[in-house]
Amino acid sequence: MKSFKRKTSVNAEISTASLPDIVFLLLFFFMVTAVIRTDEKLVKYEVPKAKHINKAEMKTLIRELQVGLPANARLGSEPLISDGSHYLKINELVQWVNQEKATLPEAYKDQMIIVLKADEAVKMGLIADIQQELRKSNARKVLYRSKENI
Amino acid sequence: MKITRKLNQEPVNTGSMADIAFLLLIFFLVSTTILQEKGLMITLPPDKEKQEAMPVNDRNLFKISINSKNQFLIQDEPREDLAGLKEEVRMFILNPAAASDLAESPKKAIVSLKSNRGTDYAAFIGVLDELKGAYYDIYGERVGLSGDQYRHLDLDNPRQLALYERGKEGIPMNISIAEPNK
Repeated sequence: MKSFKRKTSVNAEISTASLPDIVFLLLFFFMVTAVIRTDEKLVKYEVPKAKHINKAEMKTLIRELQVGLPANARLGSEPLISDGSHYLKINELVQWVNQEKATLPEAYKDQMIIVLKADEAVKMGLIADIQQELRKSNARKVLYRSKENI
Repeated sequence: MKITRKLNQEPVNTGSMADIAFLLLIFFLVSTTILQEKGLMITLPPDKEKQEAMPVNDRNLFKISINSKNQFLIQDEPREDLAGLKEEVRMFILNPAAASDLAESPKKAIVSLKSNRGTDYAAFIGVLDELKGAYYDIYGERVGLSGDQYRHLDLDNPRQLALYERGKEGIPMNISIAEPNK
């Protein structure tokens, strides 16, 4: 208690006891209100597990496709393709790839990496159709997103 | 309470700086999702029309098919699981004993993976995983590393990049993903 006694009684400090409270209030405010991704997940997917996985090197070249059952059950129980913000039909994929390629610098257009986040229960028929469209649109680098299985 | 004080002797209280810093730290910790793009990378063949049909000697082709019940047919032999596949593929590609039914040379070896339209994606990834594993084991072995160590080489480091290049030199990862049958 000695430390609280000051030599000069005029030197009054601002009380900082309530600062942690303010800080926590702010923290909770941001935790509650922060929306990190504005677009909701349109499809549900659980990527399969694999052991021998690599990282994609250049993150700017990555474009993502999600395949899985629609999050909204009213859209049916067939797997759908989504680019994160819209549903894509299989015949729209070529156009989508070309749109995405247009956003890349000229030198990297052929090196676009498509990250395919597909649910493990999706049938290969749909995956093969996607592969076919990607081949058609010359976006041939595909990364099958998978979880590390140790 | 005394309101009057000497203004020239008032230090700014920095005790709360730590709290603010922690707040920011926690906020960013919570809000950033680390972009983790890990998976099995593959390069698809060019479009069918542009592709030239290349005759492949049967001995250079390692055939794997998966049917709609997720059963495997490996080199015309039905299988229930993938036990030992990695080793078989490795032996097929390297062919150390120069057997006449295995690949002529690692360069010519092609591993073909054919699935059915009804095959589960997970089964396909399971096989692809093993195939990539087999290749990484081969690459690693050539530079005295294990497959896992090879896979984790840091390509920004010139010495490790050299190892990486040396490992895969002359042995392309010929994994062919055939179009599935109906």
